[in-house]
Amino acid sequence: MSVLSILGVISSAIFSGASLLYATLGEILDERAGVVDLGLEGVMLVSAATGFGVTVRTGNPYLGVLAAMLAGGLMNLLFAYLVVARRANQLASGLALMFFGFGMSALIGRPYVGSRINGLPRYSLPGLSDLPPLISSQFRFDLLIYLALPTAILIAWLLFRTRWGLGLRAVGENPNAAFAAGRDPRWIRYQALFLGGALAGLGAAHLSIAWTMTWGEYMTAGRGFIAVALVIFSKWHPLRAVAGALLFGGAVAFQLLLQASGIPISPFLLDTIPYVLTLLVLIAWGGTRKHAAPASLGRVYLGAEQ
Amino acid sequence: MKKSLFTVLCLLVIAAFLLPACKPAATPTAEPTTAVEPPTAVPVEPTEEPSAVPTEEEPCLIIGAIYVGPVNDAGYNQAMHDGLMEVKENIACVDLLEAENVFEGPDAERVMENMIAEGATLIFPTSFGHQEPAFNVSENHPDVIFEHAGGWMMSGNFANFYGKPPETWYLMGVAAGMMTETDKLGFVAAMPLGWTLTFVNAFELGAQSVNPEAETIVTFTGSWSDRAKEAAATDALINQGVDVVTMHVDSPATVIQTAETRGVYSIGFQSLAAQQYAPEFWITGAGFTFGPLMTGFAQSVIEGTWEPAFIRCGVADGCMAVAPYGPKVPDAVKAKVDEVLAQLTAGTLVIFQGPLVDQDGALRVAEGEVLAEEELGNTDWFVKGVIGQPQ
Repeated sequence: MSVLSILGVISSAIFSGASLLYATLGEILDERAGVVDLGLEGVMLVSAATGFGVTVRTGNPYLGVLAAMLAGGLMNLLFAYLVVARRANQLASGLALMFFGFGMSALIGRPYVGSRINGLPRYSLPGLSDLPPLISSQFRFDLLIYLALPTAILIAWLLFRTRWGLGLRAVGENPNAAFAAGRDPRWIRYQALFLGGALAGLGAAHLSIAWTMTWGEYMTAGRGFIAVALVIFSKWHPLRAVAGALLFGGAVAFQLLLQASGIPISPFLLDTIPYVLTLLVLIAWGGTRKHAAPASLGRVYLGAEQ
Repeated sequence: MKKSLFTVLCLLVIAAFLLPACKPAATPTAEPTTAVEPPTAVPVEPTEEPSAVPTEEEPCLIIGAIYVGPVNDAGYNQAMHDGLMEVKENIACVDLLEAENVFEGPDAERVMENMIAEGATLIFPTSFGHQEPAFNVSENHPDVIFEHAGGWMMSGNFANFYGKPPETWYLMGVAAGMMTETDKLGFVAAMPLGWTLTFVNAFELGAQSVNPEAETIVTFTGSWSDRAKEAAATDALINQGVDVVTMHVDSPATVIQTAETRGVYSIGFQSLAAQQYAPEFWITGAGFTFGPLMTGFAQSVIEGTWEPAFIRCGVADGCMAVAPYGPKVPDAVKAKVDEVLAQLTAGTLVIFQGPLVDQDGALRVAEGEVLAEEELGNTDWFVKGVIGQPQ
């Protein structure tokens, strides 16, 4: 294993970590407001298809990114209507949203399968452009990657340093108390879900518009679920989500590197590495009271008038 | 106030989503119209409605075709679809019923039954997994003819045809072996299935024939369409020093585009349309060109002379083609590929001719013997020179 291949794992971890990070940040917002969104996979698929389609039609990847965010936000608003206004069960609605997203994204993306786009432009890290092209070509990132870390910091700041974030967290812990304090839990959950969906849409946009530059059915291949797991992994904290996303992306890249190095291990066994890592971390960290989930996570808010 | 506003908004969103969703995505009459994303300039199949055509009389033949994926995937399904479009061009009075995204199971039977009810008398189940459902349907409809692609089952009204992919993979290996400077070739594969391993072996043997130092490194993504993992796998291969990349996954788009952005050569498979993704570093590709063969089938069905035949036809028969070369490929490579193709066609060169040794040095095919045709689908080993895990 050469230096180049180790650098490759880092580069690949950043590329595959970016979409995971955005989706995880979105789910953190949702869950901090007390809503589990198991439909994240479907939300991402619809966003990826919409963003890719808009990019094909307009030729402008940035418009595609915006469309993907909007699509993600709208998908989650649909979900919000079910679980907030209609007070439906969050897990069941989330799964329904996911399956809806499978079909919907296939329909939206149908005309664009096999289309070719100019993806988001990539810019070299400053100072690296003098290195040999094989190395420097790995460290050319698109805008969404450069914005990923600042976004995580922004979400952390919003959640823990602003009155809006305080209200959002209060709704996630105890909506009745938040209501008594003058907040509207339903309105806040709508906001959180819309923003969360838009963030998931950003992640999906990175997947289809920036990284793979294609649309294919089910192209998220479970990344929406991994993001849900990463929320637990990061204990509902945006900055820990950065580490989680990188670790997970790195694990995938590492198993591919092991294969490419000819190390005689079954690729199917290697495929389980990221999940085993997640389980190990959950076992090691699990149960500590201090970082437990928001108290009202998954509970239906019945409203103060009841 | 806020609440009612949101109710209205959400209902609108639901309506916007549900409206197009009511139209099934994959029916024989599928028109890709949606309220959300109107149809585009992307080439989409003309529908079977012969509205503008002034032929009022009955069509001379209705052909039904089912695909496992979308027909514009620049991969296998597009290759099959293009073949049938050629039939329609060649025989004007043919009507075509197409169904995309047909799962390989009871769904497929239902779709084919529908097509037969619509009058189809020649059915092309194009995916390997459509074979058994199609065979079941064929037993209930002895008057309907089935031409399945890539299988082995035969009966009075059910036949099988396919190309000779090992032959084209050998040719691709020859081109790759001559183009590589690092002597390392990369192969992104979905699953370690028998045919995939055979393709890899043929590719490596082709490369070795012109470059004894050539190695092929294989990575499996574990999925036919995990695009992100395909990109990561391509990167991992390139970082191991690979300078030619090829693939056996659903769509070649991601692997080829990733190679192109890294400045690495690529080789396509299945549809000749893959070239569009790599304007600069494209070497060549192999694709299915079943138009003439399918036209022959349709003609014989119309004339009532159709006989079940088990067909495997290669480049020389016009069923497969070597894609146009990229701008960086020297004439010597093109000439060598042509020469090897001539030898393969003449039978003076046999791909899986012994002695063949596997990765561990064990003799798999003895000197003077040839790996049997029916073994190719069950391969579970890699030839020497391939790096990767065949299981």
